[in-house]
Amino acid sequence: MTTNPATTIRHSLEPIGDESFILNLGPQHPGTHGVLRIIVKMDGEYVLDADPVLGYGHRMQEKIAENMTYSQMLPYMARMDYLAALSYNQAWVCAVEKLCEYEVPDRAEYIRIITVELNRISSHLLWYGAFLLDLGAFTPFLQAFADREKILDLLESVTGSRLTYCYYRFGGVFQDITDSFLCNVMDYIKYLRERLPSYHDLVSGNVIFQHRTSGIGAITCSDAAEYGVTGPILRGTGISYDVRRNEPYSIYQRFHFEVPTGETGGCQARYTVRMQEIEQSLNIIEQAVTTIPDGPIKSKVPKIIKAPEGEVAMAVETPRGELVVYIVSRGGKTPYRVKFRVPSFSNLSIFQKLARGKLLQDVLGILGSLDLVIPEIDR
Amino acid sequence: MHEIIEKALKESRFKPVESDHQATGLHCHIHIEPVDMEGFVFCMRDHGFFLELITAIDLIEENEIEGLYVFNHYQGPARIAARIKTARDNPVLPSIGSIYPGAVWHERETAEFFGITFEGSMDTRHLLLPEDFAFHPLRKNFKAI
Repeated sequence: MTTNPATTIRHSLEPIGDESFILNLGPQHPGTHGVLRIIVKMDGEYVLDADPVLGYGHRMQEKIAENMTYSQMLPYMARMDYLAALSYNQAWVCAVEKLCEYEVPDRAEYIRIITVELNRISSHLLWYGAFLLDLGAFTPFLQAFADREKILDLLESVTGSRLTYCYYRFGGVFQDITDSFLCNVMDYIKYLRERLPSYHDLVSGNVIFQHRTSGIGAITCSDAAEYGVTGPILRGTGISYDVRRNEPYSIYQRFHFEVPTGETGGCQARYTVRMQEIEQSLNIIEQAVTTIPDGPIKSKVPKIIKAPEGEVAMAVETPRGELVVYIVSRGGKTPYRVKFRVPSFSNLSIFQKLARGKLLQDVLGILGSLDLVIPEIDR
Repeated sequence: MHEIIEKALKESRFKPVESDHQATGLHCHIHIEPVDMEGFVFCMRDHGFFLELITAIDLIEENEIEGLYVFNHYQGPARIAARIKTARDNPVLPSIGSIYPGAVWHERETAEFFGITFEGSMDTRHLLLPEDFAFHPLRKNFKAI
């Protein structure tokens, strides 16, 4: 009796245990962000193991910081996370201000809040586009980039650069903002609020998007603590931890804003949290623009900073999570030791656990949902 | 000191040294002997602390390296800096990767930057530096060009 060939063809995607092979994702695979290589062990369409290989963009920033004065290090901060350069600017200036006990004038704090929150929105918009590109949708990418470009124009008008900003100074900011800038920001808030419903129409309710993200890549609260996950990924699990609320720095305690949280801890929860964060950032900017006081934008700070002895840990909330700048000073013009605790590092370390046993396409979705910036991991 | 830390350390034998959170960002420092580390880290995990960072400081004049483990709490801020000193000639620190899986990457990074052996570590490969890189760049005697 001959076997029917149709019955020997395997239609199911279930792993059968004899097809395991190694697949190399990266270093510059289009499905990844930055130069991240992942060695994936596959069985059919299923991922058995995924081991990220890091360091392609490693620059030893911590050693660089030890060999520079505090102000020389400032432009390097933007190179770590080129999508949220102002958050890194802020972490560094706030850490040094804390160490040296410098005062910051009110107007400068408001300018910092307005610009850093604009930067957060631009980072989230880029993530929105890139994440959906990873899932195979092209149109949202174009839409998000068009809106992000307007923020880059706004920030360029005050900082002078497009991405790698170096705008904050110890004790203030580099230059004052104009009233026309504030008008443009108000116009942009109105514009983006009108645009956001179309984001949701296009993606949030889309059936394919729902199927690609719901129940995928879920993280539990205890997983999050064991891996040190922070940022929107953590808040997607339902834990309301945001440095701006928990450990307020700058003048965040003066503004009303909510900390959006999810429930399931999966890709969809992270999406929802980030989209709501855009709205919250708009609220913060609106309050700051309407209440910004007049006054000086920089306090008197020595040209060459000599820090006192001591240790400070300065935490800020970047769009990706908690960034801690840990400075050990022994006095003098250069720090003795600097440690950058970067959010993407811890957020990516849980990836291996999330990827095991999933379909490859889901793994790419999870990777996109983590919102990684590789240069900040590699430093 | 923050009440979460007080609650966590109340029944333990670890004696924290208080730090001014407003001025330094840290609530307390704890100096720990390597043998006590496991008990301390279990205490942190059982009270819901998350691992913020692991790094080291090269104390070249004292011929020692200080391991620095920073924990924080999601209901915090409640930042604890645990510190362990080890000899600079043959630095060994206890691995906490079996308790906090996220520590494995931090330990791999600290190991290659300082030449520290993490005792009990499951993964000793280089993380950020090239595989064949035999130097430890964050040691103070490693000079930047």
